Amino acid sequence: MVSSVVHAGFALLLAAGLLGDHYDRRALAAVLAIIVIPEADSFLGSIMSGAHRTVGHNLVLPAAAAALLYYDTRLRERSALRERLADRWIAVAWVGLFVHAFAHVPLDWVHLEGVNVFWPLRDRFYLLDGEILLSTADGFVQTFVDLQVDPETGGRTVDAGGGGTTETVHVNNPVQPRDPDEPIEEPVERIFPVANAGWRLYLVGTGLFALAARRLQDRAPPEDES
Amino acid sequence: MAPTLVNAAFGALLAAALLGAAFDRRSVAVVVAAAVLPDLDAVASLAVPGATNALLHAVWLPLAAGVALYWDTEIRDVSRLRERAGRRGVRIAWVALAAFLVAGVGPDLFGSEGANLLYPLHDAYYVVSGGFLLSTEEGIVQTFVSFGASGPGILPLEALGTTDSYAIATFANPGGRPGLSLGAEREFALVRTGWQLVVVAAAAALLAVRFRRGGRAGRESQEGRGSQEGRGSQEDRKESTENAAEVSR
Repeated sequence: MVSSVVHAGFALLLAAGLLGDHYDRRALAAVLAIIVIPEADSFLGSIMSGAHRTVGHNLVLPAAAAALLYYDTRLRERSALRERLADRWIAVAWVGLFVHAFAHVPLDWVHLEGVNVFWPLRDRFYLLDGEILLSTADGFVQTFVDLQVDPETGGRTVDAGGGGTTETVHVNNPVQPRDPDEPIEEPVERIFPVANAGWRLYLVGTGLFALAARRLQDRAPPEDES
Repeated sequence: MAPTLVNAAFGALLAAALLGAAFDRRSVAVVVAAAVLPDLDAVASLAVPGATNALLHAVWLPLAAGVALYWDTEIRDVSRLRERAGRRGVRIAWVALAAFLVAGVGPDLFGSEGANLLYPLHDAYYVVSGGFLLSTEEGIVQTFVSFGASGPGILPLEALGTTDSYAIATFANPGGRPGLSLGAEREFALVRTGWQLVVVAAAAALLAVRFRRGGRAGRESQEGRGSQEGRGSQEDRKESTENAAEVSR
């Protein structure tokens, strides 16, 4: 996994922009919990092949959760959630979904073997890799999705970085540092990455900066807007 | 340099996080402009040798701006900026300064083409790259900061070279050296890697959410002035209190 510390850093930056009036320690703690919990699919690795980056790292379950949340709080006459939770926690739940969908899943999508985006509808790992640029020689170039048209048959093939399935892919993690199908020599080195590239350290630092700046602003006397 | 679009995206994220009650289209535009501004030194490099990632990526200009801003708003008896632009203006100025440093210079310093932090007093491009991890075999491994490294730098970071030895190709200056090269192929990068695409997408989505929320609250307060009836659903009540709280802050 991209380290949870990196996810948390980017999540803090997004949450600071989204929480608005609900911004406080408890709301931030809830958002951080939503960031960390999906990593628990590492522990399912011992009972389900390829569970890590699959069970907690897809976009199908968050979409379903968002649909349920929308249905319950906006469409139903009597909302089961509103009866139990204050409005503020429903707003925090929306922020949590946003953060999961933009700070957790996509950052793993670009890393190692990627994530199983459409699980459980479709079992295939995808890796997001490429670049987009405008060139004076080639015009608009993007290499994230490879579209190829077979000149003879006219058939189109789309390569969006698809890889193996839960049967064939194992993403190393601290719980299962090696693919369980391969022979392992003991002792196994377990690695808990914190930030393994400059940009990951930058995401951590920017999140902490936003947090510190907010504290500084909140300490200033209340503003009368003019 | 990191793609300008990525600088703008980080600027937008910082604006949403830090502007608070001053958040609207105009203030976001100012902050994003501040985040994009450092990349303009690529244009200066057409005349000044090696100005790319140096002239506006050095710490001196934002440092001076920060000192001036602090002196004007905190130490002077009467702040000129506050008189002219109000507290809102002061807040936007601080956030724009933060965006210049964090969103404008930061992505270049952390692991792409590097930034000439101390230019022109000391000439070396620095880049923060490496790793930080905990291993059960080797303990804490950290390679971002290295003291006593060889190279032209005086900061404990990896140095890539000086303005003489290290040229950065940009859209404005594809060769990285002074002089117009009209025939050369130019590339304007939008995103270089997957994570940058993620950041740009997140910033776009977040701004959409914030502007939509603001627009809805604004419409409601206008309707509220026109007629006081029809505030039935919980949803409306919640948003109007949100709106009131935001104004009072």
